[in-house]
Parts: sequence; structure tokens; C-alpha cells
Amino acid sequence: MNKLQKSMNSIKASNELKAGTLRYLEERREAKRDGERTGNKTGNRMGHRMYAPRFALALACLLLLIGTGGYTFYGRPVTYVSIDVNPSIELGINRLGRVVSANAYNEDGQKILEQVELKNLPYPKAVGLLLDFETAENYLSENSLLVFTVVSENAEAVTQKLAGISSPRSAAVLTYVSDKECMEEAHQHAMSFGKYRAYQELSEYDGSVTVEDCHGMTMGELQNRIEGCRRHGGNGSQTQSGDGNSGHHGGHGGHHRGGF
Amino acid sequence: MKSTADVNRVVEEYADMVRRICFVHLKNSHDTEDVFQNVYLKYLLYEGSFASGEHEKAWFIRVTINACTDWLRKLSHRKCLPLEIIAEESEIQDSFSDDILEAVLQLPEKYRNVIYLFYYEEYTAVEIAKILGRKENTIYTWLSRGKEILRRQLGGEWA
Repeated sequence: MNKLQKSMNSIKASNELKAGTLRYLEERREAKRDGERTGNKTGNRMGHRMYAPRFALALACLLLLIGTGGYTFYGRPVTYVSIDVNPSIELGINRLGRVVSANAYNEDGQKILEQVELKNLPYPKAVGLLLDFETAENYLSENSLLVFTVVSENAEAVTQKLAGISSPRSAAVLTYVSDKECMEEAHQHAMSFGKYRAYQELSEYDGSVTVEDCHGMTMGELQNRIEGCRRHGGNGSQTQSGDGNSGHHGGHGGHHRGGF
Repeated sequence: MKSTADVNRVVEEYADMVRRICFVHLKNSHDTEDVFQNVYLKYLLYEGSFASGEHEKAWFIRVTINACTDWLRKLSHRKCLPLEIIAEESEIQDSFSDDILEAVLQLPEKYRNVIYLFYYEEYTAVEIAKILGRKENTIYTWLSRGKEILRRQLGGEWA
């Protein structure tokens, strides 16, 4: 017998441990039999009990991940549409084409959003609803100018879709494409990016105009000023020829009447 | 499911060995009881059969080592231990007057297993490799490193 065997020979399972184990095993045997008799697998399941919390935790994590991912997927806007007449409202639209945010950038817009629920609607329906309401409230008339400005990776398709929405009254409609940088600048001035784009265009002809001046103007008034400047070649502070579509304020514009 | 007669027989036959392997890994008698019962529960529910007594013994060794490893892994995730367990473990460790046992228990887990199986159960390195599912060379390496550590601590003729 070597020294390790001598050292360890005293380590034995006590009779108490053996008896306790035999009792425990008999209980488990009974539990398993009962489980089989009642048609459930309790006995088998008990053998796996030690893994149950780990499994539950993994499942919870998975559900959380799916939930968070799903929420992020659904709740994150990927397209923004600024709708400006005088009410200035911006819609955030998710990948599924549903409105996930609606923000007003002036008092008129605020009043409308207090009365019209746009969230979770497909954006063409939401825009249609908004235009109906603006028409009913006389914000939108034949003499108004309605401007859609789009920030999106897929701006062309969104613009086309917006062009297919009809309004009860034949207002003049302009569509523009802008970018996120312009949108962020606009928000720093508490202005919708649609109106801010128009301000930038005007400021290229008229260097004296300020964002504050534009806050109080309707889109029709802004557009009249721009067109006036274009006709007269600006007031001397013009920095760029007036196609209105380049650089920051840029994107391309489209002008039509009565198609909405 | 194994019969009561089978269970009684294996408890009688392997209980000391299972208890010793638990001791080598866990030291703590409170944990030993839980792991000991788990090993026999696995036997109770084991649907396979054994080709021989040696096969059965090797199964018990492997299952006990795995059960101890699982238990220690679970324990490492436990943020705090009950005070009575810490006190109990400290008492057990203080009670070692045996230098050899103490030195074996200080070895890294993989060396402890092979030293126990080689010196106590008197398995060869080839047999240990089969039981633990490792390459023979690995077992030779672990054995020689384990022996070297023990030789440094206990002197040349420790075994």
C-alpha cells in the first residue's frame, strides 16, 4: 500500500450518507413512477431541474433580444417627411412605412397634432388624414403652398408615393429632398427641415433674411420671396444662382398643382 | 431505471470511491453529500448497461469527476456562501494533519485526478486516458507534472 492509499483510506462514505442516498433515490423512483402513472414526465423533468434556471435565463435573454430588436426595428425612423403649409409637422417613418413619430414645429402644427393621431398609421394614410384635417381647418386652400421635404435613403420612392396622395383642395405642391445634416441644423433653430430648406434657399438670394424672420412666414410667403428674388436676381447678397437645389438646402424640387 | 437491488449493490460497492473523489475535488462535506446523491441519481436513471464490473467502475469515476466539476462551476457563479459552509470548510482544512493529502489537495484539478487514479486506484496512464477521455500523452504530462510538484513539496520518496 502506498502512502497516498494510507492517507486516503480513512476517507469513507458514512453509513448515514449511504442511507440518506438510498432514501433519496427511492423518493426519486417513486416520483418518477407517479409521473409516469399520471402521464406527465415529472420524474424525468426533476432530473433536469438543475438546468431549468439556466434554460429559463437563456430564454428570457432571447426574448429580450427579440423584443429589443423588434422594438428597435419598429420604433426607429428611417425616413422623415416634413409637411409644411403654415402648420409645420415632421413625421418619422420606420422601415415598414409606418409613422413612429410626429412632431410639430409651430403653434398651428401643435394644434393639429393634439387632435389627429398619426402614430402607427401607414404614412400615405397619415399624410392623407393630415391634409384632410388641414383643409377642414382652412390651413390648406387653393391659394396655399404645400411643401413636402423628404430625408430618406429611399427618397425618390417616398416622394413618388407622396405625389399619389390626393387632397380635397387643389393646393400648389412642391416636393424636395433634403439630408440629415440639414435636418439637425433645422432642429437647432426649432424649425422643420422643410421650412429650413426654404430659408436656406431664400438666404442665398437675400443675405439679410434670418431664421427668425422665416419662423413667422407661411410656406407660400417664403416661396413668393424666393421667386421674387429669382426674378430680380436677388438684392446683391446673392451667393448662388437660384436653382434652389444644390448643396445643403438641396436635393431636387418638384412643383405641381392639384395632384394631391 | 435501475432496480433497487442494483442501486443497493453499487452504493455498497462504490460509495467509498465516490466519496473520495468528491473529497479530492470539493473538500466540503456539505457539497459532497449533494454531489454524491447526484451521482447515484444519474445511475438510477441510466438506461445503458455495463459490459463488466470494470466498465461500471470507470463509469462511476467519470460521472463523479464530471459532477464535481459541474458543481464547482455552479459554485463559482454563486456570489456568496452561507457562513456555516465557510466555517465547516475551514475546520476541515485545519484538521489535515496529513502532509501528503494536503499536498494532493493543493494540486491543480487535472493533476489531482490523475494522481488519485494512478496512485490510489492504481490505474495505468492508458486506462486513465480512456476513463477521462483524454490522449495518453496528456495523461503522461499531467502525471509527471503532478509528481514533480509533490516531489518538490514532500521530498523524493513521498509515494
